[in-house]
Amino acid sequence: MTASLPGLAGARLWAAARFPYLASGIFGAQVVAAPGSGTVSVDEGWRMHADPDVAAQWTPAQFGSVLIHHVSHLLRAHADRARALGVGPRDGAEWVRAADAEINDDLVPAGLDLPGDPVLPHHLGAEPGGLAEQYFRAPAEGDGWEVDCGSGADGRQRPGEGPQGGLPRWQADLLRRLVAQECVRHGKEAGTVPAGLLRWAQETLAPAVDWRTLLAAELRRAVADTAGAADYSYRRPSRRASAVGDVVLPALRRPVPEVAVVCDTSGSMTDHLLARSLAEVAGLLRSLGVTRQVRVLACDAAAAPAQRVTSARQVELVGGGGTNMGAGLTAAAALRPRPAITVVLTDGYTPWPGQAPKGMRVVVALLGERAPDAPAWARAVRVAESA
Amino acid sequence: MSVDQEPPAERATSRVASPDGLDPTVEALTVAVAARVPVLLWGAPGTGKTSVIRAMATAMGLPCETVIASIREPSDFAGLPVVVGQGVRFAPPAWAQRLTGAGRGLLFLDELSTAPPAVQAALLRVVLERVVGDLELPEEVAVVAAANPPDQAADGWDLSAPLANRLCHLAWDVNPAAVADGLAGGWSAPRIPGLAEGWVAEEILARGMVAAFLRVRPALACAPPSDPASAGRGWPSPRTWEMAARLWAAGGAAGATDEARSALVRGAVGDGAGAEFLTWLLEMDLPDPEEVLADPGSFALPERGDRAYAALAAITAAVAAEPTAERWTAGWQVLGLAAGTAPDVAAAAARVLARHRPAGAELPPEIHLFAPVLRDAGLLGR
Repeated sequence: MTASLPGLAGARLWAAARFPYLASGIFGAQVVAAPGSGTVSVDEGWRMHADPDVAAQWTPAQFGSVLIHHVSHLLRAHADRARALGVGPRDGAEWVRAADAEINDDLVPAGLDLPGDPVLPHHLGAEPGGLAEQYFRAPAEGDGWEVDCGSGADGRQRPGEGPQGGLPRWQADLLRRLVAQECVRHGKEAGTVPAGLLRWAQETLAPAVDWRTLLAAELRRAVADTAGAADYSYRRPSRRASAVGDVVLPALRRPVPEVAVVCDTSGSMTDHLLARSLAEVAGLLRSLGVTRQVRVLACDAAAAPAQRVTSARQVELVGGGGTNMGAGLTAAAALRPRPAITVVLTDGYTPWPGQAPKGMRVVVALLGERAPDAPAWARAVRVAESA
Repeated sequence: MSVDQEPPAERATSRVASPDGLDPTVEALTVAVAARVPVLLWGAPGTGKTSVIRAMATAMGLPCETVIASIREPSDFAGLPVVVGQGVRFAPPAWAQRLTGAGRGLLFLDELSTAPPAVQAALLRVVLERVVGDLELPEEVAVVAAANPPDQAADGWDLSAPLANRLCHLAWDVNPAAVADGLAGGWSAPRIPGLAEGWVAEEILARGMVAAFLRVRPALACAPPSDPASAGRGWPSPRTWEMAARLWAAGGAAGATDEARSALVRGAVGDGAGAEFLTWLLEMDLPDPEEVLADPGSFALPERGDRAYAALAAITAAVAAEPTAERWTAGWQVLGLAAGTAPDVAAAAARVLARHRPAGAELPPEIHLFAPVLRDAGLLGR
């Protein structure tokens, strides 16, 4: 292949030397000469189709940058993401522009030397550091970016690409993870890997689960454990047992658990995060069949009397001074009927009791990325500020 | 760079189909059924999980007993307690007796994630050991389950970690092309592949590979996830590694595509651990750096660019770890061989090797091979 594409070896070496953490990806892509295509494009099988005449006009740095740009489309799985978003032939160019902005945002400041004028988030009127999904459908300044990076960028197969071959999907997936691992390894030396790329790598290696899913799972589990909601029990014989003689039938039991919510209202809390997580908790409990009114305790250094509320808007948050969630938990345990589940919404800057309150499950929602850990006896969910 | 070896024919569309047009997920499903490993399909309601499984059973002439877990009681799986004289017998339900009578068949547990926790607990022995009440189902009975993700089913539960750990999890995505084909020309029934004679020997081999991998990465031997949402999917444990080895061997014996085999391994032990294992398997094919340094002439450069880079990087790393003049020279000989086919890959490795020159080592003749490409890249003279 090298023979038919002059300058390829030098371009790849430039790219691997300048961006060593992407080297496996750069060498993993197979470059194919596509005379007369007039452009460089990439398909989902990690094959790059480059027009030798176009490539000949570039310096090694420019050609290398184009390679990195296209490999980044593959690394960031832009084709899959375009399909998930339902990008069609009409808005394909718009998507590629957004995907380009996502890539260039990080790599152009890090030394990418693309020929022409690369699309950057501010050209789309967007803040840097975002994702292509956020840039998509943003009004562009001017229309100088009618670009096509191939099916690897927008997921629509091209007639000229040939239907078969390339890297199998599962191996492409492993290669993507390998590059992510190398990025993380290089990233341990501060300042070597751009922050956005590092974020991508960490997300690829350990996908973050949405806090709503986690909170829902924790609450579902708490409700299931305490209530055995709609569960079977041999504690009491079934009503139908007399009809079948010797068979012992269980009865269907469905006690509804009492739930209390303790809200941290100390000065360090942000209101909108608290309101959002409280609304989420209330909605989850409703969907789990805990339809009775939820009792909410506002708590700073001491707990305020419980309020029975049916919606998050009814909560009056009083307090503001110091913080002690232990007081909130004690107050929750003293409620009658005694709650089986207590949900604590806090920023984590609080003392905790040394052990779990007896006979009560505690789910802690930690608001904000920098919240300190919850005690080991509680189930904790981190609620992110973004998302 | 040279052309990569052509993998089995595959379409570069969203869902890659294997040569006979079988979806990798369906193919993985048939391999798991053939290997008698309990398998669970995760997918949104109405996406044809149930119909594919039923069609598969019909095509193979297997009796299929569908049991909807969410409307069953624990006693349907643990056996109905009947007071007999002084003791209690656990009477198996009719579907279990039918399967035992047939001696083979498919037990299809539908709606697994909407089963209440007590029913999930009762299912533990059914899924792995095929024991229902006092009755043991025949070896030939395969267990297949289907479930909707908890956030898609109205009354869904997360699968309990012990139950999740007994199943191979496969993600069931909708393939629009297959839906179009099925609507127009009827749904094709997947066939369960026959496993070649003596595949048990391959299973022992696969276990050996898993064991070797776990010796390198002991942390992955058992890593239960901490949150209940991920605990309801595949996660690494000694049991699932055993399952993964069995599925890998069965996939080989059934002639399954690598795509399907990788889905099976990742479904058994989870995505992260599965990917680590598959990467390790691919790396096994790379030449051993110490052997190459002992005999540089024997070095053969892997064809694929990233693998060539990995092989050369491993060799330069081995020299850097123990830089003697002899090893340094041997390293240059290897790079010199590689420069013929892949000058850029070799030059990237050469830049690293050059930094680890041991005291007193003479400049190797191969260094001149890299001057043109380094000059092309604008890297010379820095």
